[in-house]
Parts: sequence; C-alpha cells; structure tokens
Amino acid sequence: MVRSTLLNSMTETDHSVQIRQLNYFFGQADLRKQVLFDINLDLPKGQIVIMTGPSGSGKTTLLTLIGALRTVQSGSLKVLNHELVGMRKADLVEVRRNIGFIFQAHNLFESLTASQNVEMAIELLNEWGNKRSKAVDVLTQLGLADRVDYKPAALSGGQKQRVAIARALVNHPALILADEPTAALDKKSGREVVTLMQKLAQQEGRTILMVTHDNRILDVADRIITLVDGRLETDETLDNFVEAHDPKALDRRMFIM
Amino acid sequence: MKTPLAWLNLTYEKTRLLVAIAGVAFAVILVFMNLGFLGSLAKAASMIYTRIDAEVYLVSPQTLEISSTKAFPIERLYQAAGIRGVERVMPLYAGYLQWRNPETRGTRAIFAFGINPDDPVFLVPEIQSPANQAALRRPDTALMDRLSRPEFGTQTVGLITEVDRRKITVGGQYTLGGGFAADGTLLMSDQNFRRYFAPFPLSLISLGLIKLQPGVDPAQIVAAIDQVLPADVMVLTRDQIIQRERDYWISTTSTGFIFGMGVIVSCIVGVVIVYQILYTDISDHMKQYATLKAIGYRSGFLFWIVVQEAIILAVLGYIPGFAISLGLYELTLNATGGGLPIGMEWGRAINVLLLAIIMCSISALISVRKVVVADPAEVF
Repeated sequence: MVRSTLLNSMTETDHSVQIRQLNYFFGQADLRKQVLFDINLDLPKGQIVIMTGPSGSGKTTLLTLIGALRTVQSGSLKVLNHELVGMRKADLVEVRRNIGFIFQAHNLFESLTASQNVEMAIELLNEWGNKRSKAVDVLTQLGLADRVDYKPAALSGGQKQRVAIARALVNHPALILADEPTAALDKKSGREVVTLMQKLAQQEGRTILMVTHDNRILDVADRIITLVDGRLETDETLDNFVEAHDPKALDRRMFIM
Repeated sequence: MKTPLAWLNLTYEKTRLLVAIAGVAFAVILVFMNLGFLGSLAKAASMIYTRIDAEVYLVSPQTLEISSTKAFPIERLYQAAGIRGVERVMPLYAGYLQWRNPETRGTRAIFAFGINPDDPVFLVPEIQSPANQAALRRPDTALMDRLSRPEFGTQTVGLITEVDRRKITVGGQYTLGGGFAADGTLLMSDQNFRRYFAPFPLSLISLGLIKLQPGVDPAQIVAAIDQVLPADVMVLTRDQIIQRERDYWISTTSTGFIFGMGVIVSCIVGVVIVYQILYTDISDHMKQYATLKAIGYRSGFLFWIVVQEAIILAVLGYIPGFAISLGLYELTLNATGGGLPIGMEWGRAINVLLLAIIMCSISALISVRKVVVADPAEVF
C-alpha cells in the first residue's frame, strides 16, 4: 500500500530527500541529549552527496533517520516523497525497502553464497522466478561473475564489500545510503567500489548519500556537506570544498582541532 | 524458492549442529525411556487380564490391584452365575508365597494363582496339555512361569524345593509373565493353594471370573449383576478392571510420578540445550539479522527463521533419538527376560516427535526475543 502511494507521488518533486527543521534527541527526560539541530537539506535525484565531519557530529544518526531506521517526532523528513515524521514502525519498514543500504561492515551471511546473499534482498519483492539471474547480473556488473557461488569466507575484503553493494543495488533503489563503505578496504578496492557506485548513479539516476572520512574518494561527489556538532556547517560543490580544504590554504586552526 | 536461510545457517557450523542434534537426541531418548517404562507398566497391568478367558470380573472394593486382593465370599460368584447370558463362573485365588531357590537357598516372594483345574481360566493353551493338567491335580505340585526371574533358580520340571516351609514340586511350565508386581508366578490347584496359604478357606475368593455366552454385551451383564449383588463386591468389565489397575499403578503409586517427572526433566534438559544453541546462533548472526531488518525484512520473518531452526533441530535430533530408543527398548526387553513388555508404539512415537518440536519451539520463543528487538539502526 505504501509502495503504491510512493510510486504515484514520485513525480511530485525532483527531490529524493527533503529535510526541514529536523531536530533529534537521544535518551529520555533528564538524560535527553540533542544530537541534531535544525537540519535543512535537499537531495535532488541523481546526485552523489558526501557527508563528512568529525566523529560524534551526528552523521550516522542523520543517515539512519533518512534511512527510516529510527522514528522521528519533530520537523519534516520526506524520503522518496514520504513523510517519515510520526510514521509507525511497520510503515517505516515499507519505506526501507526502497532504499539501498551499504554498511561499513559487509554483514553478509557466512552460510550463504554471494548469489544467495543478494537473492535475500530480491525475495523482499516476492520475486522468485528470476531472482538467481538478477543476482548473477548485478554481481557480474560488479565484476564478480566468477564468484557468484563462493561463500564470503572465500572472498577478499573488497569482493565481500562488492557483494554487499550488489545486495543494496539489486532492487534498483531510488536512494542509496552508505556509511563508510570503503573504511575496511585498501586503496585499490576502495577506489573500485566508489567508481562502481558512481557509474551506477550516473547510469540509473540514483541518489547516493555517503558518509566518509576517506579523502581519497571525495572526487566522486557532486556535493559535499559537513556536519559539526549536530549542525549543518557547510554545503558546497566539490570544487569549493577542495579549494577550502587545500593544504596550502590551511590556517593554524585546523591543527588545533 | 526461498533461500533456506535457517537450514543453511544451521548446517554451516557442523560441530555446533552435531552438538545440538546430540542434545535433542539425548532428551528424546530420555523421554522415550520414561514413557516406555510407563507404557510397559500399563501394559503389564493389563496383560494378565488379556490372558484370562472372562469378560466380567468380580472384585472386592478394597482390592487395589491383582497382587493385593481382598478376599470376598464365593457366594457372590454363584449368585452371578444365575444371570441370563452368563456361560460360566470361575473363582481365582491369588497371593504371595516365599519361594526357596534350591541352589542358593535364598527365599524370594513369588506370586501364586490358585484355580480349579477343571476351569479353563487362562488363554494359555499349554496349561491345558494333559501333562500339565495331571501335574495341576497332584498334591504339593505347581506349574512355574518361564518368565520368572532367574533368581528363583532352575525351573526344570520335577524340581523339588520349599515354599513357605512346605515341599513343592515343579510339575510343569507355562508362559505368562508377572508384570510389575511379581518377579515370577506359580499356577496351582485351589486345593494346593489352600494348603500353602493355610488357614485359607476356599469359600473366600480373590477374584471372580465370569465368562459370557457369545454375543452378549458385557456392559448389560455388569448392570444386571450389579443389581443382584450387594455392595461388598464390584462388578467390572475387562476394560474397566484394566483401567482400574492402570490408574492404581500410574496415579496412586509413585511409579507414575517418577516416570512423569522423568519426562518433564528430560524436556527441560532439551529446552536448555536447544536454547543455548539457538542463542549462540542468534548472537553470531546479530549483525546479519539487523541488516535484514534494515533492508526491509520484518521481525516476524526473523522470528520464523529461528522457529524453523528449532523445528529442524527437533526433527534432526528426533531421528537418531528414535533409533537409539528402539535399541534400548530391545535391550530392556532382553534384560528383563521379556517380563517387562516395553516396546515402541506409533502413538508414542508421534507424541514424542510433537513433544520434541514443542520443546525446541519453547527454546526458540525464549531465545528469539533478542532478534525481534534488534535495532536495525545499530548496524550502522
């Protein structure tokens, strides 16, 4: 039910994510602590956005809120044209099915082959007949054609992460959320992974929001946002960001931080 | 086809799977043994009545079971003989004697039946053989049950020993079995019975046996006899007296309680073992399960995965448990020389399978909480 209204309303706006005056708190009563302050953010379709910021700044919290993994009570949070504020948990699950998640750890089932791990995601759509061929297709696109029937134990770190990406992409989600997808990978594998994500975003018009500390992959972004102490500090294009963070232009304050 | 996640998760860790199967099999074996003993108790209680050629029984209301009967006047039996539909009435005397083992000279209680040699009381053809019939009629002579325990000594025909300070000759043999109450049985004529149990008037009988004419409904005859006889005897059909004995053994002695408790304890052991295995499995896969939740699986799906694992464990553990139990039944049967009629019954086999599934499902319900409350936001 949610899915169909979601599809109907897709044409209403060009934004995958639209956030207005979002505040978020952890804990109850006296222990209540605000972690996100008055966030306003629009993510247009087809954009690759990288979110950076010091640890503890609320990046992951914001990512899980956009990913419909937490219930939100105040402000406005529209994901794929669906208002998440005040939504019941059961409906949040439906919204999540339209989002591709890539985690820092691959979180693959050791007991399942690469293909079966991907098929677990396809089964969510109740597609049974062609799930194997769909899984093999997406794994092939990610360069794992000869590894479809290997279990994670027989795959390298980069290969495992690519299987996890295949799992996130196989249902063609309109929005992809990634949390440090390259953190566990070496430079070469990390590069391969983001290049693949970039290619898929461009080909299929996906919106990608990626949290990362990895400076080596900033160049894939259309836009870079910085979160500091729960507030949106900067929101700039890649060129501006590079200029502002150019080592030659660094002032002493950078080292104090 | 769905990816068989529960099966693949279980079979991925071979050692853990084997331990789990062994645990369930162990619990299943314990349950089978306890139920086997309980069942053989009931069967042993009923066995003697299936070998007696009578449909209606007279017993004193004070009688608990066949080995502890309270005697009542034989007139009641004669009164019952007058009811239309009764073909024949037969008295049965029963009691314990001290049998002296001729080899070790130790004494041991043996259960003795006294019958009129002319009455075809038992449905055991060899008792009617001319040699046995002649032996029954000789004084100080009895027939001995082949299923008597070896502690009674050799049972060769012609053997002479002592019973309650009186000489006795083994005049022949038959196969009957004494059940739980008796380690061995003797069959003797009422005249001999009176001698060994002296002073014992033959006008007091332990059990009145009533054989009906063919095609007569026992329930009707019971009602008819009940009307005629005073309240000092009870009139029971064969099914009723069997049920009465079963109830005595299972409900009013500690035997039923002991074996019932055995079943419960075995189940608890099973629940704990399976819980441990499932809990470890869930803990190991917490990140993956939370990931499934994050990508859109509902808690109910994960709940179902854990229940599936529990049912798979139940069935996989049941199979070896069932096979080993069959062997143990055979072993018990041989160890008791066939005296303990322990054996597999289809009803029990199915009930224990269901019990194993329930047992594992309870473990699943206890351990599944962790995965149901798993917060998908925690995997980031």
